[in-house]
Amino acid sequence: MKKMQTDRNYEGIWIFGDYRNYFQNRVTLQLISKGKELAQALKTEVTVLVLGNRIHQYAMEYVAHGADVVMVVDHPRLKDYHVETYTLLVAKMVESFRPEIFLAGATAFGREFFPRLAKRLRTGLSADCVSLEIDSESGLLVQTTPAFGGDLLAEIVTPDHRPQMATVHPGVFEERVHDPLAVGRIVYPELEIEADERVQLMRTRPEQVRKVNLEDAPVVFAGGRGLGSMERFQVLFDLAELLGGEVGATRPAILSGWVEDTRLLGQTGKSVKPRLLVTAGTSGALQYTSGIQGAEAIVAINRDPHAPIFKIADLGLVGDAHAILGLLLEKLRKRL
Amino acid sequence: MNIAVCIKQVPDIPTIRMDRERMTVIREGVESVINPLDGVALEAALGLRDTWGGNVTVLSMGPPQSEEALREALARGADQAVLLTSPAFAGADTLSTSHVLATAIARLNPCPDLVLCGRQTIDSDTGHVGPQIAEELDFPQVCGVHEIHVETDALVVKQVSDGFLNTLRVSMPALLTVSQGLSVPRHIPLGDLERAFSDRKVIRWGLEDLGLQAEEVGLMGSATRVWRLYTPPPRRRGEILSGPPHRLVEHLITMLEAMGILDEEDANG
Amino acid sequence: MLKFKESLIAANHNYLVNEMLTPGFVLGHPEARDEFWFVADVVGPGRREGLISARLYDGLGNCIVEMKENEITENPGQILFQPIPEGFRLNEPSGKLLMESRTRSFTNGTLTLIHAKLYDKQGGLRMEPSYEGVKVYGEGRLALPAPYRFR
Repeated sequence: MKKMQTDRNYEGIWIFGDYRNYFQNRVTLQLISKGKELAQALKTEVTVLVLGNRIHQYAMEYVAHGADVVMVVDHPRLKDYHVETYTLLVAKMVESFRPEIFLAGATAFGREFFPRLAKRLRTGLSADCVSLEIDSESGLLVQTTPAFGGDLLAEIVTPDHRPQMATVHPGVFEERVHDPLAVGRIVYPELEIEADERVQLMRTRPEQVRKVNLEDAPVVFAGGRGLGSMERFQVLFDLAELLGGEVGATRPAILSGWVEDTRLLGQTGKSVKPRLLVTAGTSGALQYTSGIQGAEAIVAINRDPHAPIFKIADLGLVGDAHAILGLLLEKLRKRL
Repeated sequence: MNIAVCIKQVPDIPTIRMDRERMTVIREGVESVINPLDGVALEAALGLRDTWGGNVTVLSMGPPQSEEALREALARGADQAVLLTSPAFAGADTLSTSHVLATAIARLNPCPDLVLCGRQTIDSDTGHVGPQIAEELDFPQVCGVHEIHVETDALVVKQVSDGFLNTLRVSMPALLTVSQGLSVPRHIPLGDLERAFSDRKVIRWGLEDLGLQAEEVGLMGSATRVWRLYTPPPRRRGEILSGPPHRLVEHLITMLEAMGILDEEDANG
Repeated sequence: MLKFKESLIAANHNYLVNEMLTPGFVLGHPEARDEFWFVADVVGPGRREGLISARLYDGLGNCIVEMKENEITENPGQILFQPIPEGFRLNEPSGKLLMESRTRSFTNGTLTLIHAKLYDKQGGLRMEPSYEGVKVYGEGRLALPAPYRFR
């Protein structure tokens, strides 16, 4: 919606409650936390939208993690996520209640639904923000996103359209601690539930193949050609298992057939932002490092003290990766 | 079945040059390829056409050099290629880009039953243009499709979304964005093996051809603005240590402890 | 502007009333000596199940039972208290169910669902089952911000 220049009618921070795969999927909680910061700067409140059927526990969880208000549409016809139906209902809610800012997690559903909604509302949407702040002068939401493959950062604003919308990848922000004493408001808008029949979900089931969930792993062990062989990747798997993480790899390691291609990290693979990333036997090519530079802490292990990978590492260890990782595994196994 | 495929030409190696005034990227003079997932979409479209008949039109919005990608699409078997190009289109965000593409698709004759695009591009990677085109055309959408089956009045498609394998029935006309795993078998009719493409030209449409005003497109038609483009601050370079493995490992474990990564595991047992 | 209903919601425990979550609610006036009243009280994080106090009447104006915090205090109607997993039932001597309170557990919180058809002293309907919870009628406060203080 185009905001009139003197129109101050837009208020509030809204967050789309993406509760599927809760408790693993915590992106909504993370957004609530960031939303509270933004709300403080704008002297307003955080409202989380929850659409579904029998979603009481999610409404309660969102309040426990900081939501001031939960806005709920609870109806049997909404028991499965549905892009067109949700777009219709949420657009009506936005038009009625006019939030100033609307955030959603960049889950697969978020990436399908939020752009459609933004288009319906004729407003701007930035994707995969790594940072969100309120500009003190203009009051605008400054949305920082990687641009051009992650080599650059772009600060984006939506000056004349409302709400200002953005998606955020899980793991960018940190959630607040669960507070069992929290009390919030719950609002139930009266909406007619018209399901859009043009898309019908015939069947749904959790994917059977164990999904390599690199994006949500808190710890990632990544290996490159420098490891030398498929067998030497095993220590990465053992370490990942021990610390509840995942294993990633560079394209050369994958092309050598040492690990499956779903583990590719980098420009044409996955970008990860774990708390800790240990990269071993990788020289540090830009196409690879663009996928890992978002990690909170990077530990690089390489035989060559001049390897470019050390330029982006918080801790660099020069030596034989196999020996170092083997010893690390042994010591951690003893204490955990 | 008439199909429109949206493709984008993307920089092969990102050698970025910025137009600092307009805060947009300068695309001329850089190696370009068809965005890989759009290539998958094109192959799927051609496969569907070969089986079910109809017409495949490929569209792209971009600078004049994008014609290369469209010529390649024609060589691969597309029936028609349209380049949407105009200086006015530059600096567009997805809202504005989807407006141009949707307007063009709506002008195709015959009107497509299906619009296909890649789920996302290598360079800007928002994955938003597909859903926004669908919204403007009022087409139902399914994103990240890896299987397509054609039934009488509808398509049955499969997607993986947030760990769920979904089978959906979509009525046409519809828009699908495709993921890596999609392949639709191509049955190239024997008599058609060598089509003469030299006579097929890329059609160019600009503002007037689309019936659009300058305010609706490009930078002016965008809702978002880039305030600043900057290189991320160089990562704080930490220590580089060498020495016997046990000392290196000790140091690493100290770091893990400080980060609290080992605490959680202790607590979880 | 869309019409909407509003309530409060607690992180740890709620009831379901008029298709809305609420931390606690009151019907009628619990201080009254001989009148229908009902309190589903706010409970703190230390407690998983709901806390029900009420003075119940049959459809003809007779008091049948009074209960304070899930325990029967007066029982002219010889109501039978039956504990069930996660809650309790009040049954009439005939075996007919008068009221049930059952608490559903989530990972981090609980939800108490009440099932009852209740009348006040004047014979007016004050509560009846609706979807998972109850619909309530008449005077009351539907969203208590804090535990009710009995005098």
